[in-house]
Amino acid sequence: MPEFRKDPVIGRWVIVATERARRPSDFVPHSVSEEGASEPPCPFCEGKEDQTPPPEIFAIRNPGTKPGSPGWQVRVVPSVSPVLKIEGKIERHGRGIYDVINGVGAHEIIIETPQHIYNMADLPEEQIANSITAWIERMTDLGRDPRFKYAMLFKNYGLAAGSGKIRHAHSQLIAMPVNPIRLKDELVGSRQYFEYKERCIFCDIIKQEMDTGKRIVADIDGFIAFAPFASRFPFEMWVLPKKHSADFSSLPRDKRSDLARILKVVLTKLKKALVDPPYNIILHTAPFRMPKAGYWKTIDEDFHWHLEIMPRLTRVAGFEWGSGFYINPTPPEDAAKYLSEMEP
Amino acid sequence: MAELRRDPITGRWVIIEIDKAKNPTDYEAEKRVKREGICPFCPGNEKMTPPEIFAYRDGDTKPNAPGWQTRVIPNKFPALRVEGNLDRIGVGMFDMMNGIGAHEVIIENPDHNRELCDLMDQEVEQVLWSYRNRCLDLKGDKRFKYILIFKNYGVSAGASLEHPHSQLIALPIIPKRVVEELRWAERYFEYRDRCVFCDMIHQEIDERERVIAENKSFIAFAPFVSRFPFEFTIFPKIHSAEFSYIQKEEVVDLARILKETLLRMKLALKDPSYNFIVHTSPIDAKERADYHWHIEVMPRMGRSAGFEWGTGFYLNPTPPEIAAWALREVSL
Repeated sequence: MPEFRKDPVIGRWVIVATERARRPSDFVPHSVSEEGASEPPCPFCEGKEDQTPPPEIFAIRNPGTKPGSPGWQVRVVPSVSPVLKIEGKIERHGRGIYDVINGVGAHEIIIETPQHIYNMADLPEEQIANSITAWIERMTDLGRDPRFKYAMLFKNYGLAAGSGKIRHAHSQLIAMPVNPIRLKDELVGSRQYFEYKERCIFCDIIKQEMDTGKRIVADIDGFIAFAPFASRFPFEMWVLPKKHSADFSSLPRDKRSDLARILKVVLTKLKKALVDPPYNIILHTAPFRMPKAGYWKTIDEDFHWHLEIMPRLTRVAGFEWGSGFYINPTPPEDAAKYLSEMEP
Repeated sequence: MAELRRDPITGRWVIIEIDKAKNPTDYEAEKRVKREGICPFCPGNEKMTPPEIFAYRDGDTKPNAPGWQTRVIPNKFPALRVEGNLDRIGVGMFDMMNGIGAHEVIIENPDHNRELCDLMDQEVEQVLWSYRNRCLDLKGDKRFKYILIFKNYGVSAGASLEHPHSQLIALPIIPKRVVEELRWAERYFEYRDRCVFCDMIHQEIDERERVIAENKSFIAFAPFVSRFPFEFTIFPKIHSAEFSYIQKEEVVDLARILKETLLRMKLALKDPSYNFIVHTSPIDAKERADYHWHIEVMPRMGRSAGFEWGTGFYLNPTPPEIAAWALREVSL
């Protein structure tokens, strides 16, 4: 019998098909490593620093090397085709019943390795930890700009996941003058739960997942990865710090390698179980509070940052776009079982 | 330069590219590959589908035999089961329900190769009457709260069969997007005592730059806050919350505008895959003053960037003003 399951944070119902559940082998493999033979010359490789737009915003470099030259481990540059422009004041205006803001924001690319490697799963742990440091540095810096409310950190791996023609491993950061609606739903949902229970909803979810154990994919060094109860997509996973923390950018230096370790483990499991599938990673963290100080009063206690990992195995049909209502053909318990048994 | 626009219906922000906007020719056309094999939806193959629920047929023909114009059947691989009681359960902090619901397929016409936009007006009307009839029937079932009617055309839009068809799902819950629309519309109404959709329609009729087609009872326009390139919406001009209350003359006008806009889209965008979805009010007795039913049409142009999933934040490279212009200008 199929089931309706409700996401406890934002209240979205999902149909989970428990009969005819689809296993990894039921999905037509769409291997990213076999994508597109015609790869343009890579502008992200070491030695090609002059092919990305200046300036180099941030880099972890060998001592003695200069910005914009080789000798780096991670490099952050402006996007070649930014969707938002960094210069200018935020101007809000109304057009009849509609609201408009001019497109001010930052759009940055984090190049995760000097080598031409595609999948983050194939990077060494230290290299993933370097990327995490770059993410944190950039979010902290952008958070000082009072024009911005949120920095959206995400990664598109593979064409089906929306990656462009450049296949060299990278993630993106977009700082915006508004909060994305999904995040707002989460913030409001977790605040309501906190008002009622005086506990963080994500801490409660982690506790229940650890008690039942059946949706856990990995539990390593203070981080946990599980397939959420109301997964929208087959093999969807969330990665959270077990210790309560609302703001990703407050992750201490010594915990970054632990996060890198669990990320490498789950991405490798995903790669093996589903034959190198396309995926998206999205960070959900507390918004910048400077522009609206006092509004998010209890956020440090009620919100819990996490990474959402979504493999792209099925086409999303129209009614899912239009209704915000999903049908997931693989129960998260099955997904977690396959993934947890997979050797990393 | 881009612009951030906020959807007055859901509060969602969308980034719309203005300066480097993509025109129809900037998108690669999707290749259509005809599928081989026997089509279970073609006349003569009625036995390959579950027994029909409803059909418009020639006078002297029998159910599950040829001679029909529009045929409604249960989905052979339903996402939900129609038999059983609704059981709500709590599992620790999680809430769930058993998967009760109806999942039906509306086979729009007997001809495998004629899509909605290729049909005669009257044939499209019959499809719409089928939608309405199924809604009225399913509304009587106390277990259901919402009826979702939608169509997936083309592989990129999730269609698994080629023969022209739409689908209907009756649900014991209200989908999240609908809840959001209802909540925002209610708030707007509380403040202004007017329907936000009616206000939107007025503004679109005044400004005209996003209007694609219009007739006596309906208007089609590219929404000011389009999430997708060439997305458009069809609204009844007179306030009505619920699709199934549609009147006879309105069915005629809706069939005409639906056919016309789908045809414009097919010609302007080289037969793209698309989805449409009917947004109507939940099943309840009262006719809402704050909600307004509509059909959302979304061609699948290009790929989504990925972060839309996790954030509900969209990036649209084609402003609706250009989309509407391109769809309006195409000669039929």
